[in-house]
Amino acid sequence: MTETRSRPARSRLAEQVRPERPFARFRWTVTLVLTALLVWSSATVDASWGRLTEAPGRAVGFAQTLVANASLEPLGVALEAMWESIAIAWIATLIGAVCSFPLVFLAAGNLTRGRVKQPVRQLLNVFRAVPEIVLAIALIPFLGLGPVTGAVAMGISSIGTLGKLSAEIVESIDRGPLEAVEASGGGRLTRLRWAVLPQAMPEIAAFWLYRFEINIRVSAVLGVIGIGGIGGFIAQAVERNVFERIGLGLVVVILATMLVDAISSRLRRRLIEGPSPAAQARRERASVAGAEHEEDPE
Amino acid sequence: MSAPTGERPRRPSPVASARPQRRPRKPPPQPFTLLGLVGLAAFTLVTAWDWVLGIGFNPIALPGELADSNPAMVEGLFNITDADWRADYAELLRTHFTDPDSPWLLSLDSRIGSGLVETVQIAVLATLVGAAVSLPLAVLNSRLGAPNRTTHAVIKTLNNINRAIPDVIWAALFVVLVSVGALPGILALTMFTIGVVVKLTSDVVDGVDLGPVEAARAAGASHAAAMRTALVPQILPSFASFSLYAFELNLRGAAVLGFVGAGGIGQAMNYYWSQLDFEAVSVIIFVYLVLVVIVEQVSISVRRRLV
Repeated sequence: MTETRSRPARSRLAEQVRPERPFARFRWTVTLVLTALLVWSSATVDASWGRLTEAPGRAVGFAQTLVANASLEPLGVALEAMWESIAIAWIATLIGAVCSFPLVFLAAGNLTRGRVKQPVRQLLNVFRAVPEIVLAIALIPFLGLGPVTGAVAMGISSIGTLGKLSAEIVESIDRGPLEAVEASGGGRLTRLRWAVLPQAMPEIAAFWLYRFEINIRVSAVLGVIGIGGIGGFIAQAVERNVFERIGLGLVVVILATMLVDAISSRLRRRLIEGPSPAAQARRERASVAGAEHEEDPE
Repeated sequence: MSAPTGERPRRPSPVASARPQRRPRKPPPQPFTLLGLVGLAAFTLVTAWDWVLGIGFNPIALPGELADSNPAMVEGLFNITDADWRADYAELLRTHFTDPDSPWLLSLDSRIGSGLVETVQIAVLATLVGAAVSLPLAVLNSRLGAPNRTTHAVIKTLNNINRAIPDVIWAALFVVLVSVGALPGILALTMFTIGVVVKLTSDVVDGVDLGPVEAARAAGASHAAAMRTALVPQILPSFASFSLYAFELNLRGAAVLGFVGAGGIGQAMNYYWSQLDFEAVSVIIFVYLVLVVIVEQVSISVRRRLV
């Protein structure tokens, strides 16, 4: 008591100004859980951490071997494998897009009742939850081990993500056009065609392209179980120490993926934002000139 | 009402004028739309046809191909209607996951059990390490957070290269560098986590409120201090959410790593597959699926709490 009173007024003021930090239970729980996970995993995992120190030296040596063995000779095979990966990814995206499209409108809350929406959502979640590799292995007995197996497996898994994300887009559309079509007597399909699609389609198509980018990576991953493509090409080269194939394969996969990403992201921007202002202006000028021309005879 | 104005009966309009009103012409489709549709169709035909540049995907023949299956594999993998198969399956689950001597009766010491545990460990470690590295990199990967343009460009290019290498390829490369086991798997998924989290988080940085950052700068904070006190608190919830998302992806990705020797459940899958023991493969798939679904549900509920 006496101690508190003897403190200078200034520090008491400071104490008052800065309130005590509230006890953040959420933050502490998260920190504790994460630390426990980290300790448990790193202590019990069967990893030879000692090898980590040798890794940089080995990496340099490996890089030198790659450079020393650099050759353009396997370029044809590497490009063929890369193209196969892209083809698999494209077919997979198409399967996902075509199969998910009708489900989207059943899974959107603003178009259907909960009675319809919930089961469709659950179905989409099931597609989404199963990892591609599991689907691929489950399909091998039916389709054998080949690119089509990979494409179908990735396609099924794409249905889930595409369906869910597209349904969210449809749910976020402006209600106005929907009501307008209803007010002028439009039925279910008319509403879809004239009120929903014009609003949602660009973004849905952009999502398809985005999924294509992801699928290229997934198809490379599935390559190691033998569906073909660049993933299997590089993994086999690593296994058999064919250094010229490893190096070239890496270069091809990096460049091709970045190229597809760049093209796809430009297309996506064009889809969502519409034509660039300059192109828009040019078109408008052209159409105005055309219209004036038409009016001339009058 | 006004007198008939022309040969066509028109609706009375408030702006009825001397000039006859016409329905405006529908603008022709944008060249982008036309080109896009044509390109789409061409690309699809090229990739789907059964030739050098295509994979031979025929949607009409697909049901037939699905029906024409390999009976041995199908019976091993999912012959649920057969009572013997179900009994075998239960027996497999029992031998792989129970231990009468253990106090909890459960045991994860079998090839499948330990593979499953290792998969989780790989995913946990890769996510924690990867996310820890990603936060500063995500700040540097944005226009706001990078101290200068060169840093921004370098980090961005490096991360694009990183993202272009699939995780299995990373795993195969790390197997060369640190030999087989869980370590190459952890390293590979760490790279993958960095790729995902940095990309997503730096997109969030571009949309933050600039007020706090300006305030920190006005109060004399250094660039690093301004970022730490004014930027990081804003992006932390999204960052945490993306890290959890990366954990889900890692758990899925960790299953493939075993096929290139980088540990996890994939090793067991690969082993039993090469033994043609399809029932064991089926057990692995089932247990792994249960794990993935549980983790996903937990992760989704935590993420909803975060953002």
